[in-house]
Amino acid sequence: MAKNILIVDDSASVRQVVSIALTGAGYEVTEACDGSDALTKLDGKKYHLIISDVNMPKMNGIEMVKEVKKLPAYRFVPIIMLTTEGAEDKKQQGKAAGAKAWIVKPFKPEKMLQAVSMLILP
Amino acid sequence: MEFSGALDTFYAESDELLESMEEDLLNLEDVDDKLESLNAIFRAAHTIKGSSGIFGLNHIVEFTHVVESVLDRARESKIQVDSVLISVLLKCRDHIASLVHISESEYRSDKKLTQISGELIASLTPWTTHSSKNSSSEPDKQQTGISINDSAGTTTDKEQIQSGLWHISIRLNKNCLKDGMDPVSFIRYLGTIGSINFIETITSNLPEYQQYEAENLYFAYELSLKAETDLQTLEDAFMFVQEESDITIIPPNSNAADYVKLIQSLPEEDSRLGEILVACGSISKKTLSKALIRQIEQGMENKNESRIGEVLLEQKSVSEEIVEAALQKQKESEKNKKQKEISFVRVESDRLDYLINLIGELVINNQRVDIISERINDNFLNEAIESLGRFTEKIRDAALDLRMVPIGGTFQRFKRVVRDTAQELGKEINLVIEGAETELDRLMVEKLVDPLTHIVRNAIDHGIEPIEERKKANKENVGTLKLSAYHQAGHIVIEISDDGKGLDQNKLMGKAIERGIIEEGQQLSRQEIFQLIFHPGFSTAENVTNLSGRGVGMDVVKRNVESLQGSVEISSELSIGTTLRIRLPLTLAIIDGFHVESRGTHFIIPQATIIECMDFTMHKTDTNRQCINLRGEMIPYIRLSQVFCLSESNCRTIEQTDKKHRDKLVVVQFGEHVASIVVDELHGEIQTVVKPMGQIFQNLKGIGGSTLLGNGEIAFIIDVPQLIDLAVGLESTHPDLDRLSENE
Repeated sequence: MAKNILIVDDSASVRQVVSIALTGAGYEVTEACDGSDALTKLDGKKYHLIISDVNMPKMNGIEMVKEVKKLPAYRFVPIIMLTTEGAEDKKQQGKAAGAKAWIVKPFKPEKMLQAVSMLILP
Repeated sequence: MEFSGALDTFYAESDELLESMEEDLLNLEDVDDKLESLNAIFRAAHTIKGSSGIFGLNHIVEFTHVVESVLDRARESKIQVDSVLISVLLKCRDHIASLVHISESEYRSDKKLTQISGELIASLTPWTTHSSKNSSSEPDKQQTGISINDSAGTTTDKEQIQSGLWHISIRLNKNCLKDGMDPVSFIRYLGTIGSINFIETITSNLPEYQQYEAENLYFAYELSLKAETDLQTLEDAFMFVQEESDITIIPPNSNAADYVKLIQSLPEEDSRLGEILVACGSISKKTLSKALIRQIEQGMENKNESRIGEVLLEQKSVSEEIVEAALQKQKESEKNKKQKEISFVRVESDRLDYLINLIGELVINNQRVDIISERINDNFLNEAIESLGRFTEKIRDAALDLRMVPIGGTFQRFKRVVRDTAQELGKEINLVIEGAETELDRLMVEKLVDPLTHIVRNAIDHGIEPIEERKKANKENVGTLKLSAYHQAGHIVIEISDDGKGLDQNKLMGKAIERGIIEEGQQLSRQEIFQLIFHPGFSTAENVTNLSGRGVGMDVVKRNVESLQGSVEISSELSIGTTLRIRLPLTLAIIDGFHVESRGTHFIIPQATIIECMDFTMHKTDTNRQCINLRGEMIPYIRLSQVFCLSESNCRTIEQTDKKHRDKLVVVQFGEHVASIVVDELHGEIQTVVKPMGQIFQNLKGIGGSTLLGNGEIAFIIDVPQLIDLAVGLESTHPDLDRLSENE
């Protein structure tokens, strides 16, 4: 059974690129455009990995991680955060919230695929 | 992978974002709560940058990055958002819009677009510059933003691809399961790089069931991987856990010592690990077991644990060179580590100052002992005291050295000052820094910032002409301001030079007469005319700008520099430029002095200023002027006894008259000036701990401080530049003074 990945980013093109790359490799991908959208999409479906941007309207990535980590079903689900700034404070906030994996934007789609496969294979 | 469909999404998305960005920018001037709009604008730029990077549109990333960082600063209220900034940002937005729809190669070949990029980035500079505190973080940011391929961690060229058995030792943080990091997934991923030859799970860390926590990871892994890859790729496999975990990767065909090192660094029992390594096929059993058994035996015999490398060597299981090399490497890496730790010890500056004070006392006491030992005149004692003195001197130098800092840091600050000032005045200025590594006392550096700032601002404001004027004068549009520092004869010289219009002597004279500083018809030397700018209340600018030109400042500059025992000289050529030269002693705490005596009073002349000493009577004096003829050069002289009105005590009179014809002459130099000082007695070199003179002596000319001599007497430290001024003044204004005093 294919592994499900949730990609959360306010940029449609980023979501699309990541989605193309990951589905091509055999993952199943669901897109969400911000934190609150992501939280509603978590209901009723099991994801094996969440990839999320930090800076988003409505609910930012760090707030979202905090909420996700409260859900029993997602206690052990890895979360990859995407960040443009190598901003250390953002990173620390994210880590405190429960996201341990980071990818610096902009990334190559191949790189994203590689990083994902380190955590879950399709 | 084919992303052309996504590219269309990118275009549509960017257009949408740019549209809302424009709207928000236009609203920005009107709305009270700017933060929300700023966040939205920032996010738009941020998203465009992020997406364009993924598509490899580096030209958009580069430009947007600058805009984004300005917006980020505005968002964090580090900069004020005014209408100027908004109009620049609007232009930037339009530029991004035109960048979005073209490819990178199209952009690179379009000169007009690249030029606009450059201009816009330049126009953003007032907002991109960080204050000195934040400047360190700037380069990092830029790197992550622009170097797309590197930041993603692709393999670097220097990594060699090696094939064979890699040994990987994995010790993950015990919380990693909670973070969603499954060790099995890393091992599986390794399986995509090569084939796993052998894997052993180490369970020795499992606690008693009472302490067992189901969510913790207690397992460690040792595995060997048959793969044709490089170290970087394997390290990247653990990029999400490397911070909190211990991952050791040993390439194929490594030295036995590397394995031994691994064994020793891990917490598990050595022999057990050895077995695993052998099982992995990473090292032959014979080699390793011999080494380990021998080590255990030896450990029992004599409790000193020997390095396993040595054990290996003794067993002749590996060649001597390999072990040597391994041990050497080990030592080196330890040494490097230590050096790094030592090179940045932070010490409170108060403690350092206290140390310097103590050393000052040590120097004085050392001189005291010196005097006593001379009296006792015992050879052994003298010898011991002499070497004590040598070391005291070394300690002094070392301690003073602690306080020395390169001036570069201070110069760097002026980049900002220059940029801001130039911007404000609409001038273009290129700052050139030379001799940034020149060191001087930290205390001096701190006190120099203000005067330097003023000089720099003045140079930009009054020195360097506006662009139109420069064009007329056939100069380049961009003015040059140079800050340079160098050592010269025990002093540090700081030069601030510009290629501006230079000082107009007639204008200066006219102004000085108008202000009543000098009288009409008064003859002044070139240097004296230039020095007029340091006169309180003197200003030559016709229009008072808000930067300088109020006449406050240059006199303060001079006072500040003089309070540091320094001097300011000016050289200037009309329409070529002006150079201000600040000359300062290297330190103010302890100096090499020359001890002299005049009428029973002790004086110290700073050694750095002395050219030579000689007998006064041997030289021809010009009796009309207070000058001596020194090898054909006329040099003004000054009698210390006369300047300071020293009356000799009665008991010394007879002695003194005897010495009358053996006056000694000390020739000193400061900057361009040479003068000589007449004293009664030369006592020789002495380390001088400078004690500042109290407040009430502030107006005393010619004395820079005081010091204690070894015998407890007080000596005054001569302020050579002031004394030279005095000598030159006496020479020109009171030609008969010396004769008068001699006739008395």
